[in-house]
Amino acid sequence: MESVVPSVFLLMVNGQVESAQFPEYDDLYCKYCFVYGQDWAPTAVSWTLGPPLIGLEEGISQITSKSQDTRQLLTWNFPIDVTFKSTNPSGWPQIVLSVYGPDLFGNDVVRGYGVVHIPFSPGRHKRTIPMFVPESTSKVQKFTSWFMGRRPEYTDPKVVAQGEGREDIGMSVRKVASLSGPSQKG
Amino acid sequence: MAEVHVIGQILGATGFSENSLFCKWGVHTGAAWKLLSGLQEGQTQVDTPQVGDMAYWSHPIDLHFATKGLQGWPRLHFQVWSQDSFGRCQLAGYGFCHVPSSPGTHQLDCPTWRPLGSWREQLARVFVGGGPQLLHGNTIYSGADRYRLHTTAGGTVHLQLGLLLRHFDRYGVEC
Repeated sequence: MESVVPSVFLLMVNGQVESAQFPEYDDLYCKYCFVYGQDWAPTAVSWTLGPPLIGLEEGISQITSKSQDTRQLLTWNFPIDVTFKSTNPSGWPQIVLSVYGPDLFGNDVVRGYGVVHIPFSPGRHKRTIPMFVPESTSKVQKFTSWFMGRRPEYTDPKVVAQGEGREDIGMSVRKVASLSGPSQKG
Repeated sequence: MAEVHVIGQILGATGFSENSLFCKWGVHTGAAWKLLSGLQEGQTQVDTPQVGDMAYWSHPIDLHFATKGLQGWPRLHFQVWSQDSFGRCQLAGYGFCHVPSSPGTHQLDCPTWRPLGSWREQLARVFVGGGPQLLHGNTIYSGADRYRLHTTAGGTVHLQLGLLLRHFDRYGVEC
């Protein structure tokens, strides 16, 4: 039995950046953005009679402080709402998270980058992703950057989602951020 | 032609005695397979764990194959190396695993091993570093000539791979 296979498919992602565990740092905010291949494009899908609801491809969250109780939780509850349109699974979207916070001297420095693919199967998913931060290999450089409040950071966080050029980076792992939410394929 | 999409990440590695680790990975397929898009090999960054003992790479893998036959199903192979503070690299382990053949998301744990060498070489490795390495990389994923090797276990490489298969039903393959 032949069935007509549509050439375009949609991927709808709803969810949130829930919370983070960073034992050493406080007062953090996070930015997310999506990295996807050439055949993918974010799209506006209109479910109601009103104007199309355009999902946001990137966002910056509020600044959160650790809770004063035993959980020591950093919660953002930051919404993610986007729909992608594509003809090809290659280049499946990845979400890149960057977490920033103040250092000892009050400058905003990067505390971690993390990346994960959007899940393939429809349904509810929860992902806990490790965050890492670029580190210079020379000890003098490390001290200078700590002192000046200028940590090495990426000019474009989307680099973390790519497979090429990572061998030139030295990194160290800090802690974890967790994302949760349903995703639908159509 | 049937198509296979392999989309996922090399999550990281556990169980290695060395600390700062990076991984060189590659994918090997049979002659009937063609890589339509994606990188066939790559190298992760060096990761030094601050908390816990797992080295995290989160290295993305996005491969799109077209194939005329099932033989030579793709295999991922890894070389895990450690880098010390002087920038010297030492082999920590070789490993390979087949890409899964059922669609969906899979968690894979790939064991690794490294060649041992004579007792002199083992002693030298403890003090000076270095140690024997394979001359031909294809021994990592092929069974031929393995009987000549004497090896010891390394740690485990962890992967999360998602698999999408297309058009296999046209050729009578159920998946």
